[in-house]
Amino acid sequence: MKKRTSILGGAAAIAATFVVFVIPFIFIILMAFKDRQQSALRDFSLPTGFHFWENVVEVVKTRNWMMITAFINSSIITVVSVTLLVIFAAMVGYVLARRKTRWNGLIEFLVLAGLMVPPAVVPTIWLLQGLQLFGTLHGMILIEVAYNLPFSIILYRAFVATIPRDLDEAAIIDGARPLDVFFRIVLPLLWPVTVTNIVVQSVGIFNDFTNPLYYLPGNANATVQLTLYNFQSQFSTAYNLLFTNILLITIPPLLVFMFFNRQIVAGMTAGAVKG
Amino acid sequence: MTKTKLIALMGASTLGMLMTASAVQAQQSGYLSILVDNGPQSIATMEAWAEAYKAMNPDVTIDIEVRPGGGEGDNIVKTRLATGAMADVFSYNSGSLFQAINPTQNLLPLTDEAFQDGVQDSFKSVVSAGGEVYGAPFAPAMGGGIFYNKPIYEELGLEIPTTWDEFMANNEAIKEAGKVAVIQTYADTWTSQLFVLSDFYNVLAEEPDFAEKFTANEAKFATTPAALRGFEKLQEVAEAGYFNADFGAATYADGVRMIAMGEGAHYPMLTFAVGAIAETAPDYLDDVGFFAQPGDSAENNGLTTWMPDSVYVAANTASPDLAKDFVAFIASPEGCDVRNEAVGATGPYMVAGCELPADVPPSVSDMLPYFQEGGQNAPALEFLSPVKGPALEQILVEVGTGSRDAASAAALYDEDVRKQAQQLGLEGW
Repeated sequence: MKKRTSILGGAAAIAATFVVFVIPFIFIILMAFKDRQQSALRDFSLPTGFHFWENVVEVVKTRNWMMITAFINSSIITVVSVTLLVIFAAMVGYVLARRKTRWNGLIEFLVLAGLMVPPAVVPTIWLLQGLQLFGTLHGMILIEVAYNLPFSIILYRAFVATIPRDLDEAAIIDGARPLDVFFRIVLPLLWPVTVTNIVVQSVGIFNDFTNPLYYLPGNANATVQLTLYNFQSQFSTAYNLLFTNILLITIPPLLVFMFFNRQIVAGMTAGAVKG
Repeated sequence: MTKTKLIALMGASTLGMLMTASAVQAQQSGYLSILVDNGPQSIATMEAWAEAYKAMNPDVTIDIEVRPGGGEGDNIVKTRLATGAMADVFSYNSGSLFQAINPTQNLLPLTDEAFQDGVQDSFKSVVSAGGEVYGAPFAPAMGGGIFYNKPIYEELGLEIPTTWDEFMANNEAIKEAGKVAVIQTYADTWTSQLFVLSDFYNVLAEEPDFAEKFTANEAKFATTPAALRGFEKLQEVAEAGYFNADFGAATYADGVRMIAMGEGAHYPMLTFAVGAIAETAPDYLDDVGFFAQPGDSAENNGLTTWMPDSVYVAANTASPDLAKDFVAFIASPEGCDVRNEAVGATGPYMVAGCELPADVPPSVSDMLPYFQEGGQNAPALEFLSPVKGPALEQILVEVGTGSRDAASAAALYDEDVRKQAQQLGLEGW
């Protein structure tokens, strides 16, 4: 009896997943195979002809190979910002959790403020212009780090509390300097939450749309999400090319997720057991 | 600084000025950045202009950047103007949205440029602020009216209606033949406004000073019978059940496809839809015709027109002479030819000497008589008055779906307009 309900439950979960995640993805793939006229119908039907390759070529070549530039830019922004985020957030989280001072309250308030106060676009651009960072990739990277740092810090701070202090002390007794303690003892132990951070932040930054739209003007600075605007406009949209574009730019986050999938699950259970 | 040095410097700068002055006459050189909205026609046209201009001036490099349209585009344009990061030349709306980007501070006046002699005064009036003209027409003029499917008209033996009663009679005949008479597409709410906005020619025919009185808070939609007619027309069509079954969920793209392929007989829309038909259903372009929204009298049948977007030069451009020369090229007959070549003709040009090609689609040629001698047209209300309420489209969706009647919708819109007029600080509100 019990077995039957669990099978039923599993089947329901699989069906729900299929409806919520797989069907939209199949829709994207089907649309990417259609020509412009059929795609304008936006129905769930088999393509009448095989147009996938022409669509891909068209999408990649549009606006002077903008897609290639966009992939390079987005990769640089994502990789560098996530690296900086992980290092800085882990350091801040570690210190915040380990060292209790009377400033902790204020610092935690500021971190939360960074999470809650919405950033204003025009003053930020003025600041960037003053620092000669406006419209540059490294300026964009610093913005992504600044906007996403509070969330990462909170994740790390909570997790550092689960690592026993004895480990730090043992390392210090064995002669480790402060940086050794952090990089050789603590950071490796933070791996589960680091993976969570990498996945969440890299998908978020790779898919970021509004920030590059305002902070990173210029054709040479295009990012992948902005290439969607090549095919979608206020009054006219080429749905076949739009969905081909979506398909192409969905692949990298999908790869990241598949690569880290096992680790995420492992990390979650590891954290749970430690409690 | 010694006197000789000063004189030498003055001499050098005069020489420099002379040289730039002569360069305006001859070939241009330098770098020009352009920001254009991401409508496929806008991009294709701008790229064609840039290519043609570079062919004439080989030393010029042009970089075209694309921005979204709609509300997001407004934000981008305003942000970039406010932070001084605007491209040298950019395209943007004319009329009330143009006034909102603070033109006297952010844009370079083009009043005294030679090309303005050829631009129609009606266009200049919608890109002027503080006594200066700031823009050049980016596209041909548009009309607001009703697209009709020619094969359906031929099949049922219908005539182009010149009065509202004839239009309704046509609708009845089409409905009896088992076809969709009027296409409405409320998934894109802005499309709901056409019956009211395109009726403005008929409003002006009866109340020639409606726009001034409306701006001065003396005339209202709800209390002016001629203005209320637009709301009533939508209600009549809705109550007669002429709409397509999926009018609540259909999109503008659906509407364009339906009118082209004969899935519906009438679609009230702006004539820029010709471009969308040419892209999504090129084989059916010749099946679509166009007529102005009929009024109550056959003698006084005219078209409500929309001014095209404009190209502007940013005030802080690094190369004003090059930018002005490029804009002058856009607003020249050669510029129109390049546009005809690139995206085809979508309507009459606002520049003297611009010709339409002989083989324009019927929906465009149907529109031309309204602009020629003896034809009648009038600008839409949004080009005569800065007052346009933001909720008109939602209110009209209510009328179209039958949840509100015309009279109360007009009264609600008058209330909606009040807020906007007060924000603009107009007198009398």
